Amino acid sequence: MSRFLARRLLLTLPVLFFVSLIVFSLISLIPGDPARVFLGEEVTTEALEVLRKQLGLDRPVHIRYLYWLGRVVRGDLGKSVRDGRPVLDTLLQKLPTTMELAVTSLIVAWAIAIPGGLLAAWKRRSAWDYAATTVSLAGISIPNFWLGIMLIYLLAVNQRLLPPSGYVEPWVDLGRNLRLMVMPSIVLGSALAALVMRLLRSSLIEVLGTDYVRTAHAKGLNDRVVVVKHAMKNAMIPVVTIMGLQLSGLLGGAVITETIFAIPGFGRLAVDSILTRDYPMVQGVVLFAALAVVLTNLFVDMVYAFLDPRIRLEERPA
Amino acid sequence: MKRAVLFGIIAVLIVTSVTFAGAAPRRGGTLRVGLNADPPNMDPHQSTAAVDRQVFQNLFDKLVDLNQDLEIVPMLATSWTISDGGRTYTFRLRPNVVFHDGTAFNAEAVKYNFERMLDRSFGSNRFGEVNLVTGVTVVDDLTVRIALEKAYSPFLAVLSDRAGMMVSPTAARRLGRDFAREPVGAGPYKFVEKRPQERIVLERFDRHWDRTAGNVERIIYRPFTDENARLANLRADELDIIDQLPARDVPAVRTDAKTRLLERSGLGWQGMWINVTAAPLNNKALRQALNAAIDRRTIARVVFGETVTPGNGPFPPGMFTHNIPANSRLPERNLDLARQKLREGGQPNGFALTLKVTPGREPQQVAQVIQSMVTEVGIRVNIEIVEFGTLLAQHDAGRFEASLLGWSGRPDPDANIYGFFVTGGALNNSKYSNSRVDTLLDAARILTTAEQRRRAYTEIMTILNDDLPYLFLYWPKEYKTLGPKLQGFVHVPDGMMRLRHVWLNP
Repeated sequence: MSRFLARRLLLTLPVLFFVSLIVFSLISLIPGDPARVFLGEEVTTEALEVLRKQLGLDRPVHIRYLYWLGRVVRGDLGKSVRDGRPVLDTLLQKLPTTMELAVTSLIVAWAIAIPGGLLAAWKRRSAWDYAATTVSLAGISIPNFWLGIMLIYLLAVNQRLLPPSGYVEPWVDLGRNLRLMVMPSIVLGSALAALVMRLLRSSLIEVLGTDYVRTAHAKGLNDRVVVVKHAMKNAMIPVVTIMGLQLSGLLGGAVITETIFAIPGFGRLAVDSILTRDYPMVQGVVLFAALAVVLTNLFVDMVYAFLDPRIRLEERPA
Repeated sequence: MKRAVLFGIIAVLIVTSVTFAGAAPRRGGTLRVGLNADPPNMDPHQSTAAVDRQVFQNLFDKLVDLNQDLEIVPMLATSWTISDGGRTYTFRLRPNVVFHDGTAFNAEAVKYNFERMLDRSFGSNRFGEVNLVTGVTVVDDLTVRIALEKAYSPFLAVLSDRAGMMVSPTAARRLGRDFAREPVGAGPYKFVEKRPQERIVLERFDRHWDRTAGNVERIIYRPFTDENARLANLRADELDIIDQLPARDVPAVRTDAKTRLLERSGLGWQGMWINVTAAPLNNKALRQALNAAIDRRTIARVVFGETVTPGNGPFPPGMFTHNIPANSRLPERNLDLARQKLREGGQPNGFALTLKVTPGREPQQVAQVIQSMVTEVGIRVNIEIVEFGTLLAQHDAGRFEASLLGWSGRPDPDANIYGFFVTGGALNNSKYSNSRVDTLLDAARILTTAEQRRRAYTEIMTILNDDLPYLFLYWPKEYKTLGPKLQGFVHVPDGMMRLRHVWLNP
């Protein structure tokens, strides 16, 4: 296990290198001089010249990349063009926020999806099944931004049940933090639940048709024990892949939800940085997101081994 | 009799004390402000984003300020004289003023601030605003003399904005470019913290020179880029004041009992840039044809309702140059003139034009209305949506035919016109060049009386109305929306939220 982990962690480095290279090239292809965009209305020729020098835009792009890479390996992600703060500081500040939104959304999603998918498969073609299908279709179909604004108006403006938007750290005011997470989690979670529920349903239906399940029934085991204890573990394998992808996707931020609910997460940061051509910040966010994907995949692989002992993480000596 | 008089006196005393108690500002509370974007930079000498200025109003005192009528009023400078043909400004400074870190504010501090803005190695974004300053002399502790290379009438207006905001020399020397992370000014509120895209917190500064300022204990600025969320927060009593309201929300907010809508003319203008160096609109007659086919009143009414004023110049209502006829007269739509100009321009059947707009409902709607209007004379407009940064790049490279872009506006007329139409101006997107206009623009900066400047602008606008490097279309109004608790807010047309004298009712 530890050899497996070490090898996988080592493999993250080339992945991150390639991701950073691709992103750096892509954003330098975006039209628009970053200095010009940054200065916006305040542009004067002198200010432009000074800023371009400060941003190193007088150097060719491959030199800029090497400079950046050199600093990154020393843990320096550079400074944001917009506010001069170290990129790493801003990312670390927003990481707990993004993680919290990701986790609470997934809790909502999976709390709906797993029981829903399980019931839909177990009681196939019953009222439960149709209800689950309808709910999941609704979840996928309703646009985030509409659901978000509707929830704000219904629950926060008309009935003052919840605060409408914003963010406060859990260690500053836990109660308010949790109340602020309710609506965004519902918005994000409802869309994610749908996919997981559908997948779990079809996966579980397939597993319930296998030999070992029929054997278990024949042995006289309780139906619920068969489904929950024996079938679910195997049914969950493809689902876990999707759940892992959802988690890593959310760790890159959820732009629309963050914008509507004024949550200072990675999503808004990424979009704002692209629009203001804040290259160092874009690079930093993408690197973080790539790292999140890689680490989440690693975690998912380890979960596989737990779910199905037949899956070995490393080769056993012959 | 005596008892009646006594009761009378007591009654009067009670009534007056109750009235004054209701009107008297309350001290304390936290004011929550909703901004339309996250202010990136808290150093007024480095700042480029307009939204930074909102926070600066309360963090930094300036040499002079503006009142509701856009007149220059004292702030850190209590009086001033202009001499030497407009080339020398001598300011008397307010005594007993300290910065938030205890540094004394005096003539030396003013000198330091100007040197910082003019230091090329520092690269201040205010350089272009103050580069006419040739010297700053400390006459005595509370008197400073600023010498300009030539007369510059907009100078005081410039000093009422970021270029006049005084930073603590001690802090600026210590922090250099990092001053933005720990800004120190002389305003009624001092900096507490800034979390990007989350909040900026200011706290009352107890040693501020204005004892009537700083009623509210704390101010929290929160950015809401989504306008619906911003308004929803105000309605849910999570904010006390918000900036900028979309046109479609104005009627509803006006009638909402929980909010108060303040409306004024703004300082900005909006319209269409035309690239006069590229076909098809390098042909003046064709520009005039396009202009004649447009009905500004209809655009304003259809897209914006009552939230903009249709206009045809860079000087909105409220500016002293507004009622120049060449600025305030609205041309009527005239299809016969349009057709005549098309024939003159050699395109009797019209021509094709690509109009670039930034993403967003309102620019696209304006473009669509224009498209449908001008098609009647055969001008076929193709609307192209271009992201803002990319559009700026295309402007700079001259790779556009026409685009919808405006200007947020400044209090002095010069800042609303100069850089846009002078040859080689950094904001001259149309690449327009007219030496007569250049001469007049420079003159309008040197001339010192309002009447003289108006004459210069009259001639400029007459030429621009003929040459049409830009089609001015409308002047957006300035809105602020307040919750029920905020009192004493004075709405200034520059759109800045000056919060030093407001208070909160419970």
